Amino acid sequence: MYAEIAIAPELVRERLGELAETAQALGAYANETKVRYLFLRPQGVLCAAVDAGAGALPSMANEMPLYDWHEREMRQKQGIAFDGHADMRPLSIGDGPVPEAMTAQGEGVNVVVVGPVHAGIIEPGRFTFSTGGETTIHLDTQFSYGHRDIERAMAGRDALEIAPLIARICGGCSVARSWTYARALESMAGLACGEATEFARVVLAELERLYNHVFDLANAASGAGYGRGLAAGLGLKERILQLCAAATQHRLMFDAIVPGGVRTGVLRDPQALRADLRAVRRQVERFVKDMFENRSVIRRIAGAGLGDSQTARLFGACGPATRACGVELDARTLCAYGAYAGLDVRIATAKGGDVLARCNVKRSEIAESFRLIDASLAVLAKSSIPEPQRVECGVGRVTVATEGSRGIETVSVEVKEDGTIERLHVISASYRNWPTVARAMEGNIIPDFPLVNKSFNLCYSCMDR
Amino acid sequence: MSKIYERSLSIRHLVCGSCNGCEHEMNALAGPAYDITQHGWDLVASPRHADVITVSGPMTEAMRDAAAATLAATPHPMVVVAIGDCAIGVGPWSGVGSAGDGAGPELGARVTVRGCPPNPEEIVRGLREAAQLLDDA
Ligand code: SF4
Repeated sequence: MYAEIAIAPELVRERLGELAETAQALGAYANETKVRYLFLRPQGVLCAAVDAGAGALPSMANEMPLYDWHEREMRQKQGIAFDGHADMRPLSIGDGPVPEAMTAQGEGVNVVVVGPVHAGIIEPGRFTFSTGGETTIHLDTQFSYGHRDIERAMAGRDALEIAPLIARICGGCSVARSWTYARALESMAGLACGEATEFARVVLAELERLYNHVFDLANAASGAGYGRGLAAGLGLKERILQLCAAATQHRLMFDAIVPGGVRTGVLRDPQALRADLRAVRRQVERFVKDMFENRSVIRRIAGAGLGDSQTARLFGACGPATRACGVELDARTLCAYGAYAGLDVRIATAKGGDVLARCNVKRSEIAESFRLIDASLAVLAKSSIPEPQRVECGVGRVTVATEGSRGIETVSVEVKEDGTIERLHVISASYRNWPTVARAMEGNIIPDFPLVNKSFNLCYSCMDR
Repeated sequence: MSKIYERSLSIRHLVCGSCNGCEHEMNALAGPAYDITQHGWDLVASPRHADVITVSGPMTEAMRDAAAATLAATPHPMVVVAIGDCAIGVGPWSGVGSAGDGAGPELGARVTVRGCPPNPEEIVRGLREAAQLLDDA
């Protein structure tokens, strides 16, 4: 259950420090008068609200760098002042000049700027590498080239009507975000979905994880110069997308999860999907086995792009990249929702925190997703999925956390009496993880950036919003 | 073999506020299922090598300059292809918030590919149309 507490402004530093010891810090968002710090506990999301009307709040960015970007965003968008934040640059570019990158200083430092337009089919972003000799000393990232000011645009709109837009904030995280948003509206309406609907949602969310992870491994293969792996992986992703289209009438499963249930017509033939996925599973296993048995690939990805659990904790990182540092953090088990509680989700972790470890975690998660989908489809074969229920959107505020393929996705939503949006805030797993990509690049050579970056495979669109 | 297949294309993709759904489908073109290299087409790493610029997204304030610079760096003759409803100006993000009314119209797209996102087959059809336009040029 979602819960809120109030913290006095003078106690912010102390109380947030305590909360972070016992719960997973999820970041913060604000309106003009209040800052809301979010935490995930087994009972649900805890929101610690702080009055920001009476003057500047202490910046938390030094002790807990996870608040660095959040504070920059709140200062820019809601005008909240933070005392002691070293980086005064706005987070979003808007129509003003692009903020200057922060670079390393000193004799012999070279600065290399890449982007915003990249080679290949990649979203825009500016990466500024400071290098000493060949190795990267510092990487400054500038996002928001895809900023659409979505949150402001959603204010005042009907909470139910914007569901298709929520599904399209980011194409690769569509199912996870639709599910998060649906759960938010349903929890405010006091509405529970039936068993079949919950299992159907697990199938859809795990299909999304599956195609993303297969794609990520294909990209890791590509980054390691293993062309055959790239081709095999892309072929398998395509096969999975075709099955997604057969199951939901949309290759990326947009609008398959709607507030109140799943869209009518979704997962009509669970038996056929089950059989098809069993065949795909064998091919995926073969692709993964070939890749992991290829010694040149392994030697290339081992030791590249190191992360560690301490950095992950300080930045509030999550998802496969954090599990690859040995941290057992997954919203599906930390705060089980939907049908996950009964499915006994096995969390994959790995040691090392490098590209290899991230690939290993994804490899295990691919196997687990196949298992979860198969078990859920077995239930669906014996029951039928009901039409979505009507959701009565009343006044309320809630934050919901879901485990997407890149980590914890949250949607915070405040609805007015007439069912329109007062405030919507989206913090994506990509937002939570991007700062750690920059850290993982330190000590690596620039030509390894595609490999390191793709092993995280974070989105820009759900970062930029 | 139709004459269209005789024309090679060098394609550069430009993302202007897309949700990345269109990019998932653009990426499929490089995979074995659609493998556009069979038509003599290639996705190239620089606009200076391109004769087709594919664009996605409604256009954002922050991308306007970079998009203009990309087009300015592309030699002529070239064709801009708008990929997806957002780029055409009829998509979910057209005119929402600070988003523009389509990267395609803004950048002078002569070919449009509908869909949210369009299927890879549809994108291939749009690229064929671009090849035809270049042939006629
Ligand atoms: S057309 Fe659809 S898939 Fe393409 S960028 Fe727009 S919302 Fe995303």
